[in-house]
Amino acid sequence: MENMGVFFALLGAVLAAVMSGIGSARGVGMAGEAAAGVVTEDPSKFGKVLILQLLPGTQGIYGLLIAFITLTQIGILGGSSDVSLYKGLLYFIACLPMIFVGYWSAIRQARAAVASIAMVAKRPDQSGKAIIFPAMVETYAILALLISILAVTGIGSVNI
Amino acid sequence: MAILPMKHISMIGLKKDRRAVLDVLQRCGTVQINDINRKDNAFYKYDVSSEKLLLEKQAAVVQEALEILDRHVPEKKPMLNVLNGKQELSRKRYEKLDGEQEEILETAKHIRELSDTISEYRAGMEKLQVQMDSLVPWSSLDLPLQFRGTKSVAAFIGSLTGEMSRDELLASLFDRLPAVDAVHLEIVSSTREQVCIVLLCLRRDAGPVENALRSMGFAYPSASVPTLPIRQMQEWKEKKDRLEKARDTAEEEIRDLSGQRDSLKGMLDCYAIRKEKADVAGRLLQSRHAFFLEGYIPARKADTAAAILNEQFDLLVEYEDPSGDADVPILLENNKFAEPVEGVLRSFSLPGKGEIDPTFLMAIFYYILFGLMLSDAGYGLLMVLGCGFCLRKYKNMEPGMQKTLRMFFFCGISTTFWGAMFGSWFGDVTKIVSTTFFHRTVSVPPLWFEPVNDPMQMLVFSMAVGVLHLFTGLGAKLVQCIRAKQYKDAVYDVLFWYLLVGGLIVVLLSSSQFAGMFGLNFVLPSVVGKAAGSIAAVAGAGIILTAGRESRNWFKRILKGLYGLYNVTGYLSDILSYSRLLALGLATGVIATVINQMGAMFGDSVMGAVLFAVVFLIGHALNMAINLLGAYVHTNRLSFVEFFGKFYEGGGKEFTPFAVHTKYFEIKEET
Repeated sequence: MENMGVFFALLGAVLAAVMSGIGSARGVGMAGEAAAGVVTEDPSKFGKVLILQLLPGTQGIYGLLIAFITLTQIGILGGSSDVSLYKGLLYFIACLPMIFVGYWSAIRQARAAVASIAMVAKRPDQSGKAIIFPAMVETYAILALLISILAVTGIGSVNI
Repeated sequence: MAILPMKHISMIGLKKDRRAVLDVLQRCGTVQINDINRKDNAFYKYDVSSEKLLLEKQAAVVQEALEILDRHVPEKKPMLNVLNGKQELSRKRYEKLDGEQEEILETAKHIRELSDTISEYRAGMEKLQVQMDSLVPWSSLDLPLQFRGTKSVAAFIGSLTGEMSRDELLASLFDRLPAVDAVHLEIVSSTREQVCIVLLCLRRDAGPVENALRSMGFAYPSASVPTLPIRQMQEWKEKKDRLEKARDTAEEEIRDLSGQRDSLKGMLDCYAIRKEKADVAGRLLQSRHAFFLEGYIPARKADTAAAILNEQFDLLVEYEDPSGDADVPILLENNKFAEPVEGVLRSFSLPGKGEIDPTFLMAIFYYILFGLMLSDAGYGLLMVLGCGFCLRKYKNMEPGMQKTLRMFFFCGISTTFWGAMFGSWFGDVTKIVSTTFFHRTVSVPPLWFEPVNDPMQMLVFSMAVGVLHLFTGLGAKLVQCIRAKQYKDAVYDVLFWYLLVGGLIVVLLSSSQFAGMFGLNFVLPSVVGKAAGSIAAVAGAGIILTAGRESRNWFKRILKGLYGLYNVTGYLSDILSYSRLLALGLATGVIATVINQMGAMFGDSVMGAVLFAVVFLIGHALNMAINLLGAYVHTNRLSFVEFFGKFYEGGGKEFTPFAVHTKYFEIKEET
């Protein structure tokens, strides 16, 4: 039981990457379908819709980021991986914001991106505004990322 | 850094000069001509739809000819062709081109005809080939296919489906014809699908033999060929060769005409220019002898334009300041530093009535925020070098492209600066390379601190940048209020908020608990905190009293005021929103580090170094691309939502002058 600390910490890290990755993959896929439809009609809009397609992709990167920081903190990437059960659970909890918000925000952002792609199809001159709507959703992924980063880096110096 | 003042311009001229005047105006390119919707008995509008239709039709012909040329002789385009900009064309050459309109249009039509005949030839050749293929099984037959026999002998030439030998055929034939015994069968050719046969019998047996053959699936050949098959095939072959030669000649002719490509492109530009002119001609009013137009012109160009017109024509030009409620089009002018961000501003909205041009303020923060989010000196240097090289090498580039490159050039400088401050050069590449390949640790120390090791400090710094950004936005609102002489609004809507938000921040800074939480190494004395607290309280009370000042009813007014004070949560979320500077900055740095570590996994060997280089190149290219996109999107967001939210709404219409807008050539005026 003593060695379960690393297990829970690793579980959190991996889930952060997995859930955000799934969310982003689904999101970018959805937006990609919409974007392909627009490009069929008008290939010159490729650049504009490509940006919109990529927007839900950042959650996957944030998940990777949290996973990586956690892995370095618990010593999986070199160093000693001596993590107590209690600390391991703390690391797991620290990953939770990214696990949940990463997944859901990617999908919601993708829906906003799909709507924005439709907007660019009809009014290409408004593409600047079209980027903002999906970017609004991303704020919450960033806030989750922030809390996860602060928590993961903070746990190392907690005395227990 | 300003919105150029505009004059409202109107002119009356003689109808006979109309074309020439429009020509001069188009070449000047400084006047936006309004669509006049005034009904009058003397003045009427000129119907230009048929002229426009004709121009569009002709342009379509030329466009098609160009596409045909591109298909037959693909144009060689050098890499980075987009950066080259338009070729120059002197005014003299352009006028010559304009005069050759008929011939060029004929050439275009000719090219189209050639293309049509080529497809006809192709279709003919295909048809002949099919016919020839159908005769191949008969090629060894020395009788015409139509041969049906002599007076006493009947001949059946045709095919049976399926593979059968001669004996099998004869056997199955005699099965069906017990009464007939004199038959001569020859097999011309045989494949798995069919057997081609010649069958001779006595004329008197012809009827039953034919019936028997038919029941076995006999069919006459579909091609009706009066001569010997081999001769017919020869004939078709010759015909096909002739077609092929004709097609080659036509293709050769199209290739020869590819020298006309530039004329065709020039012609398309001519049509575009004429169409715009026709469009504008449809907006003016005219009577029997005069025409009347009105529009807008940048104030400082009005005198020159009027002088040029008065010198050449007999007309009356008047310009005056536009009336207060007129919807004046917006033209921005900024210095080289701020100008590139105009495009981003335009994608939001141009300044509306009574608003200042925010480009310069926006530009300063745009570059800083972008740099903080990308924050890798290596990527920054790449941007600076790439954009700088293109800007130097391709002087003639399209203005829009040039602005974009200039924007990323400045963003690159800022990125390099912040990357050096935070010690990120392609992540930690020096450290990884030196430890893996040279077994010594050499790392570039940050000029300030490393955000990965101290995220709290970076968070505080991000929010400080945010407060500065928001306060600058509020300052812009202050300027707008003072310009509009709304001094009360300046106090109620700007000053109170400065005091409230500023006061609250100072109160926080004087609490040791807050300082401990965010790892600040200073705490303001509590006296300062108390003073700031009372100032914030006064400002808050002021907001409660004044935020609902449009309501007369005091009860309503206080309620609205309380709601106005609730806006302070908006400031909280605005400031928190700048935490993305930390998050995106870390994302770049940490992923760059991951890439370096992945590259170093192959160890210290020649192979390891090669693999490291591969991982390094691909990984950093991807990371840079994704983070460039992220930095761009989120810098826009911080500018549009947080910064503009404080003072800017937009809604202005862009100034679109009547000018020469071409696609292929830049027409150069001779001076």
